[in-house]
Amino acid sequence: MRKGINVLLVVLLVLGLGGLAFAQVANPEWWQKAAEPYKGVVIKGISESTPPSKAMVEVAAPEFEKLTGIKVQFEVTSWDEMYNKSIQDLQSGAGIYDFIYVEQDIIYAYLEQNWLTNLTPFIQNSAITEPNFDLDDFTSFINYFKDAEGNIFAIPFEAFLKSYIYRKDLFEDPEIQKAFKEKYGYDLAVPTNWDQYTDIAKFFTEYGKEKGIELYGHVAQAKTHPCVAYEMCESIWPAWGIYNWGINLETMRASVDKGGTLNSEQAKKAFRWYVDMLQYAPPGVRTYTWDETAAVFGAGKIAQGLIYLENIGWLATDPTRSAVIGKIGVALPPTAPGVLEEAKAGKGYIGYYDGGALGIPHSAKNKEAAWLFIQWCARKEWQAEFAKLATRVVRKSTFDDPLIKELDPKMGGYFTLLKEQGHLFAGAPPLPMHRPLNEIYLKWISKAVAGEISPEEALDNLAQEVDQLMEELGY
Amino acid sequence: MRENKAQAWGLIAPTLTLMILIGVIPVLYIIYLSAFKYNVFSRVGMVYTGFNNFRKLMFDQDFLKSLRLGLTFVVLCCAIEMPLGLLIANLLTFEFKGKGIFRTIMTLPLAMAPISIGSMWVLLTNPDIGPIPFYLRKVGIDYNIGVNASQAFFTTVLVDVWHWTPFVTLTLMAGLSSLPKQPYEAALVDGANRWQTFRYVTLPLLKPILLTTLFIRIMDTFRIFDEVWMLTSGGPGTATRYVSIHLVRLVLQSMEYGYSSAMSLFLLYLTIVMCWLLLTFISSSQEAS
Repeated sequence: MRKGINVLLVVLLVLGLGGLAFAQVANPEWWQKAAEPYKGVVIKGISESTPPSKAMVEVAAPEFEKLTGIKVQFEVTSWDEMYNKSIQDLQSGAGIYDFIYVEQDIIYAYLEQNWLTNLTPFIQNSAITEPNFDLDDFTSFINYFKDAEGNIFAIPFEAFLKSYIYRKDLFEDPEIQKAFKEKYGYDLAVPTNWDQYTDIAKFFTEYGKEKGIELYGHVAQAKTHPCVAYEMCESIWPAWGIYNWGINLETMRASVDKGGTLNSEQAKKAFRWYVDMLQYAPPGVRTYTWDETAAVFGAGKIAQGLIYLENIGWLATDPTRSAVIGKIGVALPPTAPGVLEEAKAGKGYIGYYDGGALGIPHSAKNKEAAWLFIQWCARKEWQAEFAKLATRVVRKSTFDDPLIKELDPKMGGYFTLLKEQGHLFAGAPPLPMHRPLNEIYLKWISKAVAGEISPEEALDNLAQEVDQLMEELGY
Repeated sequence: MRENKAQAWGLIAPTLTLMILIGVIPVLYIIYLSAFKYNVFSRVGMVYTGFNNFRKLMFDQDFLKSLRLGLTFVVLCCAIEMPLGLLIANLLTFEFKGKGIFRTIMTLPLAMAPISIGSMWVLLTNPDIGPIPFYLRKVGIDYNIGVNASQAFFTTVLVDVWHWTPFVTLTLMAGLSSLPKQPYEAALVDGANRWQTFRYVTLPLLKPILLTTLFIRIMDTFRIFDEVWMLTSGGPGTATRYVSIHLVRLVLQSMEYGYSSAMSLFLLYLTIVMCWLLLTFISSSQEAS
C-alpha cells in the first residue's frame, strides 16, 4: 500500500513538473509543427562539463525531446576532451556531431577554417525559426560569434566574467577590520589596485596561521595545465594593462622589439607578482585548475581571489557544496594605474567576458533539427530559470526578470555587475591560432610557476617562440 | 595444391586487409606527414620540408629532455618492479595463512583502469586533503607534488610500481609453476641450500620468462600516459613531461602534425631497436640454456 502511494506521488510529481515545464514554452504548437519533419531524428552534441551544459542536458534536452520527438544525445565532458573531439570531427568532416560548444576564443580558428555552418539563413527561415526568437534581445556578447559581414555562426548560451570575489563576512568583521588597519594603516575594503590586493592576501594568510584555521588570502589556477596560461592571458595581464595576450594584432608579433608587449617590463612585473603571490594561496595551489579554485573558495578557505564566476550560482545557493552561502561579495578586479580608465574609454579591458555558444559543424547531418535545439536552449522564456541553474545571462531581458532580481543580492550583486560593468571586460582577441599559442604559453608559464626558470626569462623565451610560431603559421 | 593456396589466402585476406587498413596505411601516412611543416591553423597550409623535422628533433631541447625523463622513468620502474615482483612471486610459492586474500588484494590494481588510478592518486597526494602529505607532514616531510619536481617524478614511479608490480608477480608466478622438478631434486641431492637453489637453478630456468616480462614492462613504461596525465599533467613545469605526454601536447594541443609525425616515427624506431636488442638477448640466452 505504502509502495503504491509512493509510486502515485512520483507519478504526480513527474506530471506536475512536466506541466510546469510546458507552461514555460511560449509557443508549443509552433515547436511541434516545426519539428514534425525531424521527429525521431537523433541529434548529437558535445560540450564542456560546465553548469550551463549540465542544465541543458538535465533540463532543456529532456523537455525538448518530450515536446518535439527529436532525440538529443548530449555529451558533456572535460574541456580538453571537448576540444579534441570537436576539432577532430570538424577537421575530418565526419559529421559525428550536429551541434558543438563553440567557446568564444576558438571561434576565430573555426571561422578561418570554414568549419561552422552560417546560421543567418536559418534565422531568416520562418519554418525553422520561432517567431519570438528575437535576435536583438541578446547582449552584445553575441557579436563575438559573427564574421566580418555580420553573419551569425553560433548562439550564446553562457557568458560570465572572471572577476574578483571575496568573503564579505571576513571583510566586515570589526575585529578583522581593526587588526588590518593597525597593520597596514588603511581600511580593509575591496582592493582597487594590486598593492592593496597583496596586502589583503598577506594579511588573511597570516591571520589563518595565527588563528590555526585554514584560511588563505589568495587563490590561483596554477596547475601545469592550459588553465594557468588562460589565467595570465584572461585576467592577470589585462588588469595590468597587457592586452591581447601581449600580441600586437597589427604586426602579429609578441616581443617588444617587434611591437608586442609580452616581454615588456609591465608584463614581467605582473608575472613576477603572480608567481610571488602563490605563497599566500593554499599549499595545493599548483595542483588547481579552474574547478579547484571555485571548490576551495566554496569550502570557506579563501578570503579573496579571481575566479570564473559561472560558479557563483552554486557557491551562493547550494548548501550541499558551499560553506560560504550568504558570505560572498563580488566586485571588479584590482587594476594597475590607468587600466580602468582605458577600459572605460574602450581602449582596453580589465578581464575576460568569457563564455560560449552552440554552433553547427559544417559537416553536421541534422542541421535543421540541431538548429531547433539551439533555439530551444536560447528561448526567452527559459532564460531566467537557465540563469538560476547555471549563473549565466545572454539575453538583455533576463536581467529584468523578477527571478534574477531576487537572486542578485544572494550572489553578491553579480548579475548587476554583469549588466552594468560587463562592458569593461572583453572577449578573447581574434587569434585564430590560439590553440597552439596556448600550448607555448603553458610551457613557459608553468616552467616559471614551478621555479625551473625566472618569470622574466620565461617571458623573453615565450615572446621569441610566439614570434617564431606566428611566422611559421604565415602571419 | 593451387586450390589449397587460394583457400589459405582467402582465409587470411580479412586479417591482412585489416592489418593494412589499421597498421600499414596510418604508418605510411605518418611517414608522408613527417616530411611537411603542417599545422591545422596554418595559413600557408602544408609546406614540404624533407628531413627538416628530423633534423629539428635532434636539436629540440624540450624533446630531448622529455626523452631523457622517459628513459630514466623506464629504467627506475623496471629496476624496482622486476626484483620486487620476483620476490613476491617467490614468497607466494610458500603456503601461509591468508595467501588467497593477499593474492587477490595484490592483483586489484591490475583490474583498475589507468585513468582511475591517476584520479585516485590525485586525491591521495593532494597537498590540501590527501592522506600521504598529511602523514608525511607529521614526520617533518613537506610533500607537495605540485611544487617539488623530484617528489612529482618519484611519485609517478611509485604509482607505476604500485600499479604494475602485480603484473610482474603474476607472470613470474606462472613461470615458477611451470619449471621442471628434476633440477630441484638434483639440487636437493647435491645439498644446495635455498639461496643456492634459487641462484643456480630457479634464476637460470626463469631467465627467458624474466626477460620477456622485462620486455613487456619496458614497452609499457616507455609509453606511459594516462596515470601521469591525470596526476601531474607533465608538471610541475616539465618535471614529469615524459615523451608520450610531450607528443600528445604537440599533436592534440598545438596541432603540429608534421613535427609530431616525425617525433612518432623516431619513437617507433627507438622502440623497434629496443625490442630487437632484447629479443636478440632473449634468443641468445635461450640458446645458451
